[in-house]
Amino acid sequence: MRLIPPRSGFPLAVAAVAFAFLGLFLVYPLYNVFQASFFDPSGKVLTLANYAKMLGTPFYRAGLVNSLIVGSLATLLTIAIGVPMAFCVARLPVPAKPALLALAALPLVLPSFVGAYAWVLLLGRAGIATQALREVGLDGISIYGKQGLVLVYTLQTFPYVLLPTLAAFKAVDVSIEEAGQNLGATRWRVFRTVTLPVVLPSVLSGGLLVFMETLENFGVPFVLAEDMPVLSVQAYKLFVGEMGANPASAGVLGVLLILCTTSALLLQRYYLSKRRFATGARAVPPELAVAPWLRRLGACFPWGVVLLALVPFAAVVVISFLEFRGPVMHLNPSLGNFALLWQRGERPLVNTIALATAASGAAALLGVPIGYVLTRYRSRLADLLDVVAMAPFAVAGTVLGIGLVISFNSGFLVLTGGWLILVLAYMVRKLPFNVRASAAILHQIDPSLEEASVNLGVSPARTFFRLTVPLMAGGVIGGTILTWVTITSELSATVVLYSGQWSTMTVEMFRALEGTGAGMAAATATVLILATILPLALIYRVLKRHEVALL
Amino acid sequence: MTAIRIAGVARSFGAVAAVRGVSLDIADGEFFTLLGPSGCGKTTLLRMVAGFCELDAGAIHFGDKRIDTVPPHRRNAGMVFQNYAIFPNLTVGGNVAYGLKARGLAAGAIGQRVTKALKLVHLDGYEERMPHQLSGGQLQRVALARCLVIEPEVILLDEPLSNLDAKLRVEMRGEIRQLQKRLGISAIYVTHDQEEAMAISDRIAVMNAGRVEQIGAPAEIYRHPATPFVARFMGVTNLLSGTLARREGARAVVRVGALEFPIEAAAVAGAAEGAEVGFSLRPESLSVAPPGAKPPAGWAALAARIERVEFLGALTRVELRLDGGLGLSAAVVDLPRGLAQGGVSLAYDPARVTAFLGPCA
Repeated sequence: MRLIPPRSGFPLAVAAVAFAFLGLFLVYPLYNVFQASFFDPSGKVLTLANYAKMLGTPFYRAGLVNSLIVGSLATLLTIAIGVPMAFCVARLPVPAKPALLALAALPLVLPSFVGAYAWVLLLGRAGIATQALREVGLDGISIYGKQGLVLVYTLQTFPYVLLPTLAAFKAVDVSIEEAGQNLGATRWRVFRTVTLPVVLPSVLSGGLLVFMETLENFGVPFVLAEDMPVLSVQAYKLFVGEMGANPASAGVLGVLLILCTTSALLLQRYYLSKRRFATGARAVPPELAVAPWLRRLGACFPWGVVLLALVPFAAVVVISFLEFRGPVMHLNPSLGNFALLWQRGERPLVNTIALATAASGAAALLGVPIGYVLTRYRSRLADLLDVVAMAPFAVAGTVLGIGLVISFNSGFLVLTGGWLILVLAYMVRKLPFNVRASAAILHQIDPSLEEASVNLGVSPARTFFRLTVPLMAGGVIGGTILTWVTITSELSATVVLYSGQWSTMTVEMFRALEGTGAGMAAATATVLILATILPLALIYRVLKRHEVALL
Repeated sequence: MTAIRIAGVARSFGAVAAVRGVSLDIADGEFFTLLGPSGCGKTTLLRMVAGFCELDAGAIHFGDKRIDTVPPHRRNAGMVFQNYAIFPNLTVGGNVAYGLKARGLAAGAIGQRVTKALKLVHLDGYEERMPHQLSGGQLQRVALARCLVIEPEVILLDEPLSNLDAKLRVEMRGEIRQLQKRLGISAIYVTHDQEEAMAISDRIAVMNAGRVEQIGAPAEIYRHPATPFVARFMGVTNLLSGTLARREGARAVVRVGALEFPIEAAAVAGAAEGAEVGFSLRPESLSVAPPGAKPPAGWAALAARIERVEFLGALTRVELRLDGGLGLSAAVVDLPRGLAQGGVSLAYDPARVTAFLGPCA
């Protein structure tokens, strides 16, 4: 609504750069994936033969079905856990809430396949818990297959539902609940007919994130699915297959993946477009007075879920300091695994840090101006930019990786085999997050501050750099570090794109899992967990400090 | 030291016409207020002068200089925002110095002028404070100092007092008016509060639905509203519609139902007998006396019954019902003893009645 300045080339320039970047490194690669799937090998005849072949093969059809079943079950389960959890935290006296919330967000940034691997160490065939259970006569509990995938996804992604739902519960004006009760409805009826519908859009947004994440995830099924076919793993295997790469078949699976994520996204948009609630809570709703047993249950439940989600990570760190002889673990403390890791060279660690730093910095440079244009300029162009900048969100990392390889393996721009293609893939993948984060920060900065600056004689461009950027700095630094953290644990695109010397920690872990180096995999996992937690501890402080400056 | 000329300015947002052809001439050093309900286009008009809103048509001049084509940061029109818009990351001193730094002044000169400006708004010694340590009233003063320190050609105030409590509002409006007169800078002030507008302004433009309904000095607008809208918007009034029954010398008589209201003939000079006429009778121009009391010479008298009395402190509001069922509202300083109910004699000076040709919608 507010335009600074009324006529300016700035949004146009930002949009041009964004369109050019995403056009070249998202749309063009995806176009090539589509083309590979819709044309015969000569590349000239349009055909559905590839689709007919893939969908006619029970193995690949099962992959699609399994992916959808696991994704749906995980989504339902995260909602079933996340919503009551959010309600407990919002409205019941749960002890140590700030600590609970800080810990509850962790599973989202901890590398998911490390989590999956940790569960294998605990409940896998040779897992500690499995052996202990076997001794007491319990056998047949398996972490592999669908149930394992659903369990790991649920524990890994429940914060996607918990966090927005919690915010929504806190934003519900208590007086509307009181009004409901005042009109004669019971507390439960009010919850069902007023509170729940108001928070439902947030629940569904979170659920969508869970669904997308489970569909595109590559590492978790790689560790846990074993023989069970899963779409993202199949696409990868077809593309880098030992029998020779098969871009057409991989392309078909890629297109199917995109179709699933896109339809979920559109379905959610359609649903939300009809439901917009303005909830202007003036105060955080008070905690409910409930019976002691309910209060205890309300405290145990959220803490139980959070601890269950984090215990495997703690376990993997402990295990990495134990002695391994081949795949067999012994209960002796040892630094052997790390020594082994060190022998393989520090290159993957250096690569991970360098690539994540370059990509998160570049993503911020691209994302912040886009976020700025989206929040401060209302126009058709801005709407289009919004859609385009969010598009990477619906594209699985594996598919993007395949597209990039097909596109830049030869021709006018050759990128495969280098580091740049990894940075570009990370930038594309993290752009939606960056744009959303900058937009969120900007929403908290009153536009009249910028108007005041312009009014006092500072040109719009200088206002942006002298006033807006410093005001955004805290939030942008926090967002960039968060991007950095998620890039260090990126696997699905990396595994398609990396080459020899540009291997990362996640790839090392992936390779250790493929081989027999269980001890080294645990050591790698520990390094990855530390790479995630240390920066987060750092921004926790930075964000706290900047909250004050941001009013 | 600049006159402001706004000529034929218009702006639409999509299908909504926010400002439809407004022309205003604001004299050098004048305190001019845009007054109207929310959505009347007053803020849009102010933002056009500041440069934050484009014009679809028309032109704006400061003196001889056309400024609507100048980018907002080169207009030298200081603005005070409704929510203060104090930069939260800068100290009070940093906020006030902001515009001076943009103009490339030497550090020494900036320091002096900042000190002077803060003194002007009674905030001397606050340079090092951070905005979050200040109260709403103090933030408003910082905003004022920050705007005045750049020595703007005009100052633009967008509902600057609406976030303050009632008492502080009255205090601050006095200070703003005083400062503006002392510095002699032309000011455009936007508000929806008619009392505030009357207290602070040299002249007021009452706006409605993107148009100016009336421009004039506060007393003129209050006493002689040009349209029923202005009459209604400027405080409480009794708006009545009837037909012009006859003329009796300097008087004209308007018939409302079975009742007759004498007004000044000059007020309905253009109307033929039998024409529809509306008129506004301010509550405070009605006097309430015991039944049968003789009204002052030249006043018109009506019989009425008291329906309800509201004691408001300084004033007492009396709701009355005339014969024939017509309701009127009167405001008196003191209601004579024993008159809390029952019949009374109502009187008014026909000269205080404002008439409009056509009915009052």
